[in-house]
Amino acid sequence: MSDGAVLAVRDLSTVFPSEAGPVTTVDGVSFSLGAGETLAVVGESGSGKTMTFLSVLRLVPPPGRVTGGEVLLEGADIAALPASEMRWIRGAGIAMVFQDPLTALNPVFTIGDQMLEVIRAHTAMSPRQARALALEVLERVHIPAPAKRIDDYPHQLSGGMRQRVLIAMAIALRPKVLIADEPTTALDVTVQAQILELLAELRSELGMGMVLITHDLGLVARYADRVAVMYAGRVVETSPIAQGFGRSRHPYTRSLFRSIPRLDLPADQPLTVIAGQPPDLARLPAGCAFEPRCFLGNGREDCRSERPALLPTTSDRHLSACPHWRALIDAEAGA
Amino acid sequence: MLRYTARRLLLMSITVIGMVTVVFFLLRAIPGDPASYMLGDYATEESVAALKAELGLDRPVWEQYLGFVKRALTGDLGTSVVTGQPAFDEVLESIPWSAALSVSGIVIAVLAGVPLGVMSAVRHGTFADLFIMFGALVGISFPVFWVGLVCILLLAHEVRLFPALGASSSTDFFTQVHHLMLPALVLGFSVAAYIARLTRSAMLEVLGQDFVRVARAMGVPERRIVYRLALRNALIPVLAVIGVTFAWSLGSAILVEAVFSRPGLGSMILKAVFARDYQLVQAGVFVLASAVVLVNTSLDIVYGWVDPRVSVS
Ligand SMILES: Nc1ncnc2c1ncn2[C@@H]1O[C@H](COP(=O)(O)OP(=O)(O)OP(=O)(O)O)[C@@H](O)[C@H]1O
Ligand code: SF4
Ligand SMILES: [Mg+2]
Repeated sequence: MSDGAVLAVRDLSTVFPSEAGPVTTVDGVSFSLGAGETLAVVGESGSGKTMTFLSVLRLVPPPGRVTGGEVLLEGADIAALPASEMRWIRGAGIAMVFQDPLTALNPVFTIGDQMLEVIRAHTAMSPRQARALALEVLERVHIPAPAKRIDDYPHQLSGGMRQRVLIAMAIALRPKVLIADEPTTALDVTVQAQILELLAELRSELGMGMVLITHDLGLVARYADRVAVMYAGRVVETSPIAQGFGRSRHPYTRSLFRSIPRLDLPADQPLTVIAGQPPDLARLPAGCAFEPRCFLGNGREDCRSERPALLPTTSDRHLSACPHWRALIDAEAGA
Repeated sequence: MLRYTARRLLLMSITVIGMVTVVFFLLRAIPGDPASYMLGDYATEESVAALKAELGLDRPVWEQYLGFVKRALTGDLGTSVVTGQPAFDEVLESIPWSAALSVSGIVIAVLAGVPLGVMSAVRHGTFADLFIMFGALVGISFPVFWVGLVCILLLAHEVRLFPALGASSSTDFFTQVHHLMLPALVLGFSVAAYIARLTRSAMLEVLGQDFVRVARAMGVPERRIVYRLALRNALIPVLAVIGVTFAWSLGSAILVEAVFSRPGLGSMILKAVFARDYQLVQAGVFVLASAVVLVNTSLDIVYGWVDPRVSVS
């Protein structure tokens, strides 16, 4: 499946040392992303969504460390690159937009200054050329009168405008992959839709692969082609959206979606309505990490003793890390 | 901008007038007076009373104060009872000495403290960080006169790198600078220690901010992130306390001047207080307070320029 994938990640792991022993926050994560495709990444808070992509960019905050895995960007393994060359990938090969546009911009530099810093970090452009490019991308993200705005300081712009600036910064160097980490969580509802429309538009215009990390399951169906569900640092299910969410083949995903009242309504609810506590990564059970909360697992011996791998189900586009996925389908068929 | 400056100027004057007023009344509240001091222990009560009357010290304090204000407004800060010279002229004479010491102390402190603080933050947790922070701890916890004495012992007596006296009667520029170096280093060291610690903590905080992570995620080189993007943020709190350290360094300068037998505003005021030379103390405090307020106000203006969120309106 990684043929033609613009980004393919295999067995990526990241470990944080702690007093209670090493904590694996990203645990053998694999996925792939095609050009022009949007992959949604969902999961409860702390499931490792952000950390996975910080690991891809090798920006894990110390003392955390990427301990293994491959990251293929257009087929080349960037996980094997020396640290000094990694910075050329960031921003130009893979760019990332973060959750909070209010803190993501440096308050004491103008937005133009900050954009130029990024552009000139990767190109040999003169300040004047770089400024022209900055104006061009600001225009592209629909900032009105960019020539006037470019010399503004961040505090002179609204939250939505700032997120547009950050998106402009991220696409300025035409990256192959754009990672948007909860890009609208900090914004007004009315602005959220505009930003997502903008991202969708840019993705198809520039042919980037896009990762949309989100808490908002309502967005997944609308903007993504595929979804990866994370639990306790692992991917537990990936499937094409077209397969339908209701057809999920993992109990955790089912619980996630059951926690939303209605699928056809935009859901802003936090995903904490599932019974039981999110797992403590320092003290994971020996078997399936979801076992203590799983409606399907209770009592099954293998759930407690064996950690299930992410394996193909009926198609190799739909993977699940629950060996009992058939039981979910049977229950449906029976109902 | 004009209104802002006018308001700042008004605020400045109020501060200085307040300081001088407080000192005026404090001086007269402490026991002893210039007349008894001048005439010595064996003076008769009549002669003291006569001198007091001559100096106007027999009148009520508020009346003395009104007289002082009236004369001050015409630019007359009185006459030193000890030397008989206009107090303001005496003060003016000592200003270059103090200014040279304080300014070179602060410059050394900033030039050493900021880079060391940045280095410490960037390598935090390493041996270099530990070493720098240990040095800073020494600079903060050891009294400046003690550091001064040790320096004289080591660098003036043992190694003979610098003269032990902090001043020379020579008018040769290089001789003067040579004499100034050790006192300036001693003063600079204690202020540098403070600035280094502050820079380190400010820098560590900034390096943990979201916008630094964003710059990294966009591939901006670490060098640019630290020395340009983060440093300007970290300098904001540092700049804010340089004004405070300036006032503080004027205080430490008194001790440094004493250890190195160097003339200056601090040692002059100290002597004047012992002699109950009211006029000289008042003139000295007036100039000191003006200097501190002036430096702080100019820093505020620079501050507004570095931090665009501080609007001048
Ligand atoms: N600096 C750090 N040091 C140690 N552990 C960390 C650090 N940052 C995050 N973690 C841990 O890594 C795990 C994954 O965190 P991550 O931020 O990736 O979660 P997330 O899925 O993005 O959650 P959210 O939806 O809240 O953003 C969490 O258990 C978190 O406690
Ligand atoms: S493996 Fe067992 S515990 Fe884990 S999700 Fe499947 S049924 Fe539940
Ligand atoms: Mg996150």
